[in-house]
Amino acid sequence: MSSPIKRLMVYIDGTLQSITAAHYAVTLARALDAEMYAIYVINTRALNDLLKSHIFIREEEEEYERDLEEDANRYLRHVTKLAEQKGVAVETIKTSGTVSVEIKKSIREYDIDLLILGELSPIRSRREAMLDESERAMRIAPCSVLIVKDEEKVMDIYDNLI
Amino acid sequence: MEGRGDMSIVSLISEERVKVPLESTTKREVIKELIDILLASGDITEAELAFMDVMEREAKGSTGLEFGVAIPHAKTSTVKTLTMAIGIARNGIDFDSIDGRPARLFFLLLAPPDQSGPHIEALSEIARLMQSESFIRELLDAPDSAAVVRLFREE
Repeated sequence: MSSPIKRLMVYIDGTLQSITAAHYAVTLARALDAEMYAIYVINTRALNDLLKSHIFIREEEEEYERDLEEDANRYLRHVTKLAEQKGVAVETIKTSGTVSVEIKKSIREYDIDLLILGELSPIRSRREAMLDESERAMRIAPCSVLIVKDEEKVMDIYDNLI
Repeated sequence: MEGRGDMSIVSLISEERVKVPLESTTKREVIKELIDILLASGDITEAELAFMDVMEREAKGSTGLEFGVAIPHAKTSTVKTLTMAIGIARNGIDFDSIDGRPARLFFLLLAPPDQSGPHIEALSEIARLMQSESFIRELLDAPDSAAVVRLFREE
């Protein structure tokens, strides 16, 4: 029987949790012989909101967008390196817009079977539950979703992968 | 390469980083008073540099918004991680706000130059919260810093 997971995608946002998820995605891709994708979404929706609400001036919006672009490149390079170290090829996707919407779009475009997310932040208020982009992505993803937990165990598995 | 940690508003707030009421009566004084809160909490070591960075940003356009809210912010090398102080003034302070009205509720955010992502997330979260006039009213009526922290946790 062929693997039910042919293409998996990990969402990277620069958090420790998303980096742990990337390590797990590499081990899964190796174990399942699946194609691996890593996506970083430059949150231009948030930048536009800040400009509209006059918290940002135009110059600031442009400066922060450049910063996020650099963050995206840096983190995707890091994931590529993590994968290469274990002999896994990864296709990186750098896009911009509303995070959960862009993730959903890419899942459809690349025919992804499994979305891998880092552990969700602890919810300390109703507001946080509504704002968390990973949680939104989990809810609207049109494919199965795996939430990666236990950083120590994940790093052990990754490190022991020969 | 390490990823960054949790930077939600609730994770940035603590009673020692909230001052009710503020003693200042001018824009410069408010910014200084908020920076002093972060100096006292040990979040920053160079108050003067932080002040200059915030004022430089303000010179490009005031961060005084509507409904008595102001969100002065800046990138500054004097912090290692995203840091926030909140202050509430009993009387309005002229902050060159876009609606021309005095400001009473202040959020000061300082971010290291290499942490734009968390800075944007925190500012977005505050922006969304400030769309609720009832929440702003509750904050303005808060009797002390403990009540402010509680409101953010309950919202």
